[in-house]
Amino acid sequence: MSPYNLLPRFKAQYDANNQEFSISGVVRPQAIDELGPSLTLLRDAIGRVRGVLYVNVRRLTQMNNAAFHVFSRIIIDACRARPELKFVVITSSVVGWTSRKFGRLSGIEPNITVEEYDSQFYPGQGFLEEGGFVPILRTQTKMTWRHERAILRRHGMRPGIVMADICCGIGDFAVLVQKEFQPSRIVALDHSISSLNYARRVMREFDIRGIEYTYGDASEMLLDEAQFDLVTCRHSLQIFNRPELILKELYRICKPGGRVYITNEKNSHCLGEPRAESIGWTYNEVAKLFGYFEMDVELGPKSRRYLIEAGFEDIRVETFMVTNLDGDPQDFADVIEAWANVYAGEMAARRGDGPEFVARFRQGFQDHIFAALHPKGYAGWPIWVASGRRPQ
Amino acid sequence: MGPVHHDLAGEPTFEPMIQIDMEVRTFVSAWRHCDYVSTYMARMISQNRSDSVRHSNLFSSAFNELLEVAFRTRHADGELACRVSRHGATDRIELTFPCLPEERQFYQEAVSQVAGFEARERYLNSVSGDLAPSREVVLLELAVDYNATLRVEEADGDAVKLVVDLPLEGLEH
Ligand SMILES: C[S@@+](CC[C@H](N)C(=O)[O-])C[C@H]1O[C@@H](n2cnc3c(N)ncnc32)[C@H](O)[C@@H]1O
Repeated sequence: MSPYNLLPRFKAQYDANNQEFSISGVVRPQAIDELGPSLTLLRDAIGRVRGVLYVNVRRLTQMNNAAFHVFSRIIIDACRARPELKFVVITSSVVGWTSRKFGRLSGIEPNITVEEYDSQFYPGQGFLEEGGFVPILRTQTKMTWRHERAILRRHGMRPGIVMADICCGIGDFAVLVQKEFQPSRIVALDHSISSLNYARRVMREFDIRGIEYTYGDASEMLLDEAQFDLVTCRHSLQIFNRPELILKELYRICKPGGRVYITNEKNSHCLGEPRAESIGWTYNEVAKLFGYFEMDVELGPKSRRYLIEAGFEDIRVETFMVTNLDGDPQDFADVIEAWANVYAGEMAARRGDGPEFVARFRQGFQDHIFAALHPKGYAGWPIWVASGRRPQ
Repeated sequence: MGPVHHDLAGEPTFEPMIQIDMEVRTFVSAWRHCDYVSTYMARMISQNRSDSVRHSNLFSSAFNELLEVAFRTRHADGELACRVSRHGATDRIELTFPCLPEERQFYQEAVSQVAGFEARERYLNSVSGDLAPSREVVLLELAVDYNATLRVEEADGDAVKLVVDLPLEGLEH
């Protein structure tokens, strides 16, 4: 067991602009006095707000019954004293007990509602998270792995390490790493239950051991700090509107001296011959389309800056190009086909694009496929790899 | 999940996972022990659950409450024994700690109340009530929020053994 840590392990804050009181960390007091300042803060907040007070418990990892009772009482009393005031308690589906426990409060006072936050995490989540993307992810990982299996050694991957793959998707990368490098432990986290179910099924069917799949939110993980030699996060920083928040978490769970490894794209640099122009136009539009949904699929070359700004040192950046020559060109074509279906399909429709635009947009993907399958053709998809070391 | 074993009495066999024993005196010397023991054991036993991190968080949450109950024992002589065993989706905590005879009586009554129909109702009343949660309410909450089943077993000497079955693996997201 670790030595006693006398610092308080929780934090309460009030944000007047958003009328939001938040409490996070581990709240397990022996006596209620230990909560004094936080309770005062909550009472003050209640005194000052009009309309709604948001009570954010998303990052509340633990709270004992004694503490729960005092906080609840303050809120319940406030409902009775000020019937015009509403409370919205925001829980997280990731911290299993919070929704159940706080959920009871709405049964006591109708002015208290309890909402699970994660239903809309990052803009565009709906397109990528559930179901549809699974086959594409599989083929993509197969194609990128050919390159990454060699690259990873230069970024801290070696046998016996403890590693985490954050935003692991359906877990293919974790499985490949497990086979090739035999780390002693892999924690693989994602926020898609269907992807995790898929990953667990694969693990059972192939009798794979040593991978722990876990449901979580990359921007606030339940994982302890400083426990991984290598933290990987592939193709995912680019889908968050605030990648720096995720990076901060990756940094936190990485051991001092360990490394964080990220891969990202720069979609506008996808290329092909013949029909380069049409292909180039379409991928430029892909970048804009994602931008519309607040995702930055041009992030690749910005990795260096993000890593530096997050406090990493010894930053290494390299690129590789997945091409139609790597393996079966049909794999490449399948991935493009799947992109076309989502990007020129649901996403374009959601942005409200007209049929003329969609036709031209689609054509670029068709041309990319044409280039990939052409006997003399060449088609490429560039990826930026970057890693940094957490200072000792 | 492996085959279901039943012993002669028809009760499924729980496979032992981990046990921690310590002097009650040592245990009650620092409140933080509840947190440390619950967190440590939760981590140890959750590694091969389908979602280790989530399981560990839930388990620690429930187990800590039990340890806080034991912490308040009025009989500070003897051993505290925490044992966790497993049968399929259910983890069983057996917590044995010294207590006065009247406390044992109290636990027996508290646990029989937990099984009652109005458990939920009573739990809600306690949340909106004035009193800080009693040991009884804490046990009630385990049943209401974690679908725990509880019972009290005989223990040697001046001690009580709380047996709590937690089906955490089955709790929905
Ligand atoms: C583009 S995929 C990349 C998956 C995988 N790393 C790969 O390379 O195939 C992005 C992944 O991030 C996951 N994700 C999205 N939001 C998340 C969040 N807040 N926390 C954790 N994972 C999240 C999605 O479920 C999806 O699996």
